[in-house]
Order: sequence, then C-alpha cells, then structure tokens
Amino acid sequence: MTTLLICLPLAAALIVWVLPLNPVSAGSLSLLAALAEVGIWIQLLVRYDFSKGGLQFSEQHAWIKDLGVSYHVGVYGFSVWLIGLTVVVLAAAIAYAFWAGRERTRAYMGLMLFLTGAIVGVFTAQDLLLFYAFFEAMLIPLYILVGVWGGPGRLGATLKFVLYTMAGSLLMLAAIIAYGLSQGTFDLVAIKPVSSDWLFLGFVAAFAIKAPLFPLHGWLPDAYRESSPEVAAVLSGVVSKAAAYGFLRIAITKFPGPAHDFRAPILALAAVSLIYGSLLAFRAPDMRGVVAYSSLAQMGLITMGVFAVNDLGLDGSVLQMVNHGLVSATLFLVVGMVERRTLTGELGRLGGMARGRPALATVLLTAGVIALAVPLSSAFAGEFLILAGIFQRGWGWAVAGAVAIVLAAMYVLRLVSAVLHRDVGPAVSESALDLRPAELGVTVPLLVCLLALSVWPAAITQHSFRGDHGAFDVAEQFK
Amino acid sequence: MVWGAWICLLSPLVAACAITAGGTHLSRRAAGWLATSSCVVAFAGAVAAFVGLLTHTASDRQFISTAWTWISGGKYQSGLSVIIDPLSVFMMLVVAGVGGLIVWYSIGYMDGDDEERRYFAYMALFVFSMLLLVQSGNLILLLAGWGMVGLSSYLLIGYWHQRPSAIAAAKKAFVMNAVGDATMALALFLLIQQGNSLEFGVLGGDFSSTVANLVALGLLGGAVAKSAQIPLHTWLPDAMEGPTPVSALIHAATMVTAGVYLIVRTHAIFEQAPKVADVAAGLGAATLLLAGLIALVQVDIKRVIAYSTMSQIGYMFVGAGIGSYPNAMFHLMTHAFFKALLFMTAGIVIHALTDEQDIRKMGGLRRLAPKTYWAFLVGSLALVGIFPFAGFFSKDSILAAAMAKGGAFGYILWAAGLAGTFLTGLYTFRLLFVVFWGEPRAFVREHFHPLGRDVVAFSLAIPVGILVVLSIVGGWIQFSPWWHPVETWLQTVAEPIVSPASWQEWTSIALSLLLGLTGIGVAWAVYGAHRVAVPRIAWAQRTLEHKFYFDEAYDALFYAPAVFLAKFLRRGVEQPLIADSGRDLGDDTRDLGSFVARAQTGLVRTYALAIASGVAVLAIVFVIVK
Repeated sequence: MTTLLICLPLAAALIVWVLPLNPVSAGSLSLLAALAEVGIWIQLLVRYDFSKGGLQFSEQHAWIKDLGVSYHVGVYGFSVWLIGLTVVVLAAAIAYAFWAGRERTRAYMGLMLFLTGAIVGVFTAQDLLLFYAFFEAMLIPLYILVGVWGGPGRLGATLKFVLYTMAGSLLMLAAIIAYGLSQGTFDLVAIKPVSSDWLFLGFVAAFAIKAPLFPLHGWLPDAYRESSPEVAAVLSGVVSKAAAYGFLRIAITKFPGPAHDFRAPILALAAVSLIYGSLLAFRAPDMRGVVAYSSLAQMGLITMGVFAVNDLGLDGSVLQMVNHGLVSATLFLVVGMVERRTLTGELGRLGGMARGRPALATVLLTAGVIALAVPLSSAFAGEFLILAGIFQRGWGWAVAGAVAIVLAAMYVLRLVSAVLHRDVGPAVSESALDLRPAELGVTVPLLVCLLALSVWPAAITQHSFRGDHGAFDVAEQFK
Repeated sequence: MVWGAWICLLSPLVAACAITAGGTHLSRRAAGWLATSSCVVAFAGAVAAFVGLLTHTASDRQFISTAWTWISGGKYQSGLSVIIDPLSVFMMLVVAGVGGLIVWYSIGYMDGDDEERRYFAYMALFVFSMLLLVQSGNLILLLAGWGMVGLSSYLLIGYWHQRPSAIAAAKKAFVMNAVGDATMALALFLLIQQGNSLEFGVLGGDFSSTVANLVALGLLGGAVAKSAQIPLHTWLPDAMEGPTPVSALIHAATMVTAGVYLIVRTHAIFEQAPKVADVAAGLGAATLLLAGLIALVQVDIKRVIAYSTMSQIGYMFVGAGIGSYPNAMFHLMTHAFFKALLFMTAGIVIHALTDEQDIRKMGGLRRLAPKTYWAFLVGSLALVGIFPFAGFFSKDSILAAAMAKGGAFGYILWAAGLAGTFLTGLYTFRLLFVVFWGEPRAFVREHFHPLGRDVVAFSLAIPVGILVVLSIVGGWIQFSPWWHPVETWLQTVAEPIVSPASWQEWTSIALSLLLGLTGIGVAWAVYGAHRVAVPRIAWAQRTLEHKFYFDEAYDALFYAPAVFLAKFLRRGVEQPLIADSGRDLGDDTRDLGSFVARAQTGLVRTYALAIASGVAVLAIVFVIVK
C-alpha cells in the first residue's frame, strides 16, 4: 500500500508526460490521479492500527546488499498525518493549476504529480539513502517549477534556491554516507543512535536550510514570491514539513546526545526565526511577503516543539505541521486568486475587496484567523501544546512564543484589512469578481479540514505517537 | 439539564453557520430573526439547565459533561466539556437573555444596512463565543472562548470596514486582548507543568506561593485586558466605532464582564495569592475613579457610556478582588440590564439624529422623544444607584464588603468607591441634561425624525421596554441587609470571604445614596438648571481629554519600538545581509561558473566522478572529525 501511494503519482506523471494529451484531458487525468491518491490515503488512515502504533505497511526489498541499503518504506502514526497533508494540499494545488491554466500543461502537471510521489516517498522512506533519493527527487521538480513557470525574477530566485538547498543536500549526503558506513547499515529503523556532533550538525544544517531557520532563509522570500501560487503553497505548506520531519525522524531520534547538548543554540535559532519572521511579516509590503515570513516564523515554532523533545512539544509540533501546511497553502492560493484579479500583491494598492465579494472575504478571513491561531482553532491547539512543551525546558522560550502570538495577531490583521477593508485600492477594479465556484472548490475543502481539526485536534495528537511516551523514550517510538 | 446546556451553547453557533452558508438565499430579515431565535433557544436551554439544577440539593449542583477529548499531549488531556453549576447557569441566563434582547433590537437598528446578514452572523458568533467562555468545563476551553470572544468583537467593532477608524479600533481591541490571551496562556503552561491538568479543580490544589502568584497574575492579565481595566483599557472607548447594539452587547452585557467571571471562577487560586487579589481590587478602584473622571469631559454620547462601563467594572473588580464574589456577580447582572438599556436608548437617539453622536449638537430631546427620555432616565438612575433602581442594590453591597475587609486598604477601596458614586452621578446626569434638557439645538431641529410605527420601531422599543422593567425591578432579587438569594445560589461555587455587618451595609447605603444624589445635584446645577459655561482648568481638561495619555504612552513604549525594530530588521538585516548576500552569492557563482565552465566537458562520467569525489571528501572529513 505504501508503495502504491508512492508509485501512483509517479506513474501518472509518466503517463501525462508521454501520452500526447490535450491540456484539458492532461489536467483532468492529473486531477483524477491526485484525487485517487487522496482516496488511497483515506484507506491508509482507516486501516492503520493507531492503538498499536509503530511502523506499519512496511515493505523491504534488498537494494545494495553489501552496504546494507534497501528499499524500505513504511508509515508511523505521525507520518500518516503528514502524508495526508501532502496528498490533500497537492490535490488542491493541481486542481488550482488546472483551473488557472498553466502553459505546457502536460509538463507542468507531470511535475506536480512527480512532486507528490517524491514527497510521499520522503515521509515513508525507512532507509537513509532512499530518504536522500526522495529528498532530491522532491527538489528537482521544484527547481523547474519555479525556474520555468515563475514570475519575472524567477531565474535569480531559482539560482538562490538551488544554491542553498544543494549546499544543504550535500552536507546531508555526506552525513548519511559517513553515518551509514560507520554503522554498517543505512536502514533507518535498524541503525543505532550515535552521539557524533558533526553528523548531527550535518543533518541539522540540511534541514535548517530547508525549513528554513534564521539565518539560512535567504532563498525563501524570492522563491515564495516568484513561483506560481500553487507552487508556493506546496513549498511552504508541504516541502518545509519535510525538514521538520527530518528533525523529528532523524535528528532527535538518532542523535539523542547531541540533540540534548545543542538544544539551547537550536532553540535560540528557532526562537529568533519566530520573532524575526513575525516582525518582518508585519512590515512586508506585499501579500506574499506576509505569508512567506509568517511561514518562517511558524517553522521556527514547529522546530521549537520538536526540540523540546517531550510529549507536549512533539504532539503539538505534528499537529502544527498539519495546521500550518493547510493554512499557508490556503493563504498562498488565496493570494494567487487576489493577484489574478488585481495583477498585484502590493498591500498599498489593494483594499476594499470585501465589499461585494463575500466569498473572498469569508475565505481570506477564515484562513487568516486560523493562521493567527485564534483560540479554539486547531492552530491554537498546536501552538498551545508546543509552547506548553517548551515551557518545561525554560519559561523564557515560552515567553518568546507568547510575544509571537501577539505579533501574529498584528501581521495577520494587517494583511486582512489591507486587502479587504478600507477604501477600494487603485489596483482593484469594480469588475473584479468574487471567488468563482472552482476557486471555492479548491479552498473550501482545505478550510473544512482545518475546521474539522479545530473541533477535534486530539484526532492528531492522540494518534501520532505510541501510547504514553516519556521524554527520553522518543527513540522507542521508532522500533 | 445537560442537554439544555449543550443546546444553549450550540444554537447560536448553528445560526451563525446557517447565515454564513445561506448567503443571499436568506433574506435580510430572516437572518435577523434566525439570530434572535437562536438566542431565544439558547435562553430556553439555560432555563432548562437552571430548573435542572434546582432539582438537586445545593451541595450536589455541579455537573461536567464531556463530548470528547479535545486536546492531548502525553499525560495531559482536556475534554470538550461544559460545566453546569450555579455560576455558569447564572452567566448563561444573563448572556443569552440580555444578548437575545440586543440581537432583537438590532433587527430594528440595522434595518437598511446593506450587509445585515454578515452582521447577524457575527452577532450569533459572538453570543456563541461568550456562552463558550462561561460554560467551558476546563481552563483551556475557557481560554478558547476567551479568544473567540476577542475575535468576534474584532469582527463586530470593525463591522463598518470601509471606515479606517473602525478597522483601527477593531485591530487595537484584538491585539490588546491578545496580550491578555498570552498572559493567560503562560499561566496555563505553568499549571500543566505543575500537574498535567487544566480542570478547574486543580486550582484549589497545593501550590507554592510563587506558583500561585504567577498563575494568578497570568489570569489577572487576561481579565484586565478583556474587562478594559487599567492599564489595558485603551481599546474600549475606541471600540465605540462599532454599531451601537454591538457596544451594548460587548460593553454592557457580556464581553467586558468576562474578567469578573474569570476571577470568580478561578477564585481558588486568587485566595492562595492574596497579594494578586489585592492588585485586582486596586486596579478596579483606580479604574473606577479614572474612568469616571475621563467620562466628565467626553462629548461623544457612546464614549461617555463606555467610560461609565469601565468604571462600573472597576466596582466589580473591587468586589471580586476582596472576595465578595456573589456581590460582584450580582452587580454584573444588574449592570448588564441598565447598561444595555442606556446603550440602546442612546442608539435610538443616534438613530433619530441621523447617526450623530456629538452631545454638543443635541439638547431638548425630552420633549421630542419623551419615551426615550424616560427610559434613559431609568437607566441613569439605576447606574447611579438610586433607590429603588437596580444599581442601588448591587453597588452598595460591594462598598459594604470593602468596608468589611477592613484595614487601610479596605477603607481606601471603600472611599474610592464612594468617590466614584459621586462621579457617576455627575457624569451620568451631565449626559442626561445636555442631551435631553434645554432647548433643541439647530442641529436637532433640522435632523430629528421620530420613529414610525412599523416593525423597525417595535424591534427597537420592545427590548428597551423589557430592559426598563428589569432595570427597575431586577435589583430587588437581593437586598443584602435582609435577603440574599444570589449569594445563596452561588455559595457552593464561590463562597464569599468577607461578610459585612449590618451597620457597614447601612453606612455604605446611606453615604453612597447621599453622594450619588450630590453628584446629580451638581450636574443639575451646572448643566440642567442654567446650562452655564463650566469653569475649567486648562491642564486638567487637557489631561482628561487625552485620557491620561495612555494611548500616547503605549505608542511610544510598544508600538513605535516594534515598528522601528521591524523596519530596522528589514532594512538593516534582511535586505543587506540575507536577501542581497544571496544575490551576491548568485553573482559570484555565475562568475565562478564561467571560470569553471572549462571543466564542462559534456561527459557524464566526468560529472559523476566530480560529484562522487566531492561527496567522498566530505564523508571522509565527517568520519575523521567525529
């Protein structure tokens, strides 16, 4: 089943690339494949035995016997939710791309499908080299999607993105090789935890670039600004979670000693990302800037939760990964919808869009208030658990988080009112339509997921890790 | 009983969702009636819960109904649960009852606005949030209700979103409340660390005094922000930008009193942290005086009432802070009646004068709108606390309790409360005389248009009529020297820790009546009888008009530095160091690229070799240095 989940989109990508379909049928086929993927995931969700936990649906085939490399995939409780996030957001992104119409549809759709398979691979790989292969396979379509279909500054953005992520990937590859060779196996389940600071830092650097964390976020503003909205949605919603997943699955599990020793500096970087991102989001001149920097802030928060290495922090960060993935994807898609109507994202030229456009106003407002983690939303539940977890590692971290709560209110409300309220901006024409049914069809399901999670955040927090795990038993989770 | 509570909680939410989903399929009037009837249903549910509780003996009146586990993290978990006990039922009745009247009134007030449906969806959402706040069965859901109330007040204050001032006011209210949410959240983190639980029961546990003080301070921060007490009060007067029924709902009946409810609900922790409880009472006393002074110079009819709200909640904070919980709750209830009445009559005045709120343009409305005048008079008398109106019964017992607390601090609170009574008489009747007495100004003669006899007028008049009755008789429920059913009802949840002797009761009653009447007399002498120009002290006037410079101070202390820091980070760090360094990196790479281009042989095996050897070198480095 896991392999099916990985291979279905890859196969669909091949079909879309190879068959000479017209844009409509290529789009429909891709959307169908994406929805089928969601269907398979629902099967996985239903059939995964949460009461038992641990690795399930695992498949293992020898690959390079001498080195202990194998094709080993499988899912843990929390990976079920991350896969769910991936397939849902990618389905929405593909649907939006189909509706908005991208040039060279077949190539575009194929890349999106390929991306889906690769990300699912990252979340299911249980072998270090396989993980690396999927990680790279995830980045390559993104380079092309940003570089070919992006905005006017796409080349610079892509170059930066490639340079940063390549640096991270190489560090990770070197760390993987050194780690695997020293232990005689690359199997993520079987490999023993070690206490090498350098290997730990190699992994952390790679993930910190991908997340990103301050000050390694140089690629982020340009990449999020120049890519098409659905690619930005995938980048900030899903791809960044691969980094958080790496922190959780590799950094703290396989390197418990260094994770403990380096806790303070890593938490400091995460806290700085949180505050710094929030402040920059508060002054960003355009819609994408606000969402992009808020993404930086949120990844800082999630990283804090992971490195709290206790029940509250870990449960909270898995929940928050899903929340942030859904909400930032929604926001980027809405940004795209606004830009379609006004041809700009500059806050100074927007305004007054709520009048006569109730659907747009409702969608943006709902996504916005969830993004600022209004209490009772699932994002609130996630932030609350993370901060409650980090509080136990030192109250100062939680105070930084509490400051960020206030800052989040400031930047989200600024965004919402700059787009929706006050006088009608110069870029907003009278004839700019309300959201069309297709656009609602893309955003409303994402919001429904978020509202459902708000009613029952424990759906994720009770079904991520096995039983009653103590802070030092994290490694136990992965046996 | 349990069903009643859940119906009470959920029916406004259902209405809000239905109005949002219905969109234009629903007529505007229908949206209004849907919201109103959801409040009626909620009130019926509250009554059912009340009756259900009555069938149990007093010691047995606490039920927690959990739907499912809402949130969990390791050993900590909290359910989606409602609490049904005398305190929550008391609040449910007030919130659903007064809230319902206000929503009903809105049908008339908002008639003809072009986005009525949105308005009623927000109103229903607000009532839901408030009910969630008072019904939540544990602290995290209480915080959830707390935040949702903040959100819906943001939506309602900023309802007229094309007005920049309304949007600014709405944002200010939300952000100030978020500060309170944050301090509450910190208190909750500490509780989780202590005992892995956020049930109300843990508050009575055994904490070290540091922990108790910190938790109480965190909760107090939330209470102060939501109830607009000094120093987090500056959002409230600005919040008058919202439609008048909103002001009535948020600033009279419900939201701002949430802080008082919170203190009473969590009194166990405040009793372990007596110093923090004293801080609460002290802030209340300071607020009631300062707000009373500021109200003297305001010229916007709604702002005068808004400051009087702050002042009255100051009384409730004094009551809750010194441990006279039932009296604080009783004053909360009577205040909901007469303050909603005052806001709603003010709304009728504003409506009749084509949305004018400046009292300097009003005057002489007594003859033009006699029924409104009488309603306003009843509200004013109840506010000042004149026998036999509602405020008389509740305010004086708080003063008596302050006296009973004794000590220098108790008497300071008592004296502040008495001085506040004088101020209340003065500013309330200043407003009444200026607006209703004298000759109609030119503006009034030109713009006044009386209400017709249509549905709009009835929707305005009937709720006001009901509130007039409640403001007259609502206080008779409890007259502390002789009978106290409110105290008996709340006893199992919040047992008061001070009990005034009867001479203290009567002294307070006599003095506060006297001072209230003096205030009215002075107002009459200055504004009623002669309408003379008042002698003014320039600096005092200026200080009051600037509301003691709180806004300016916050701007200078927090907002400006935050903006400055953000700008500095953007220009000084992000642009030059991170964004552009990347660009330089890109350029350098391109230069390097053209240099290295010679290595591009086009042979895949060369590349593979290069990559492999590079990685190998890195791997060796890692192996060696580890």
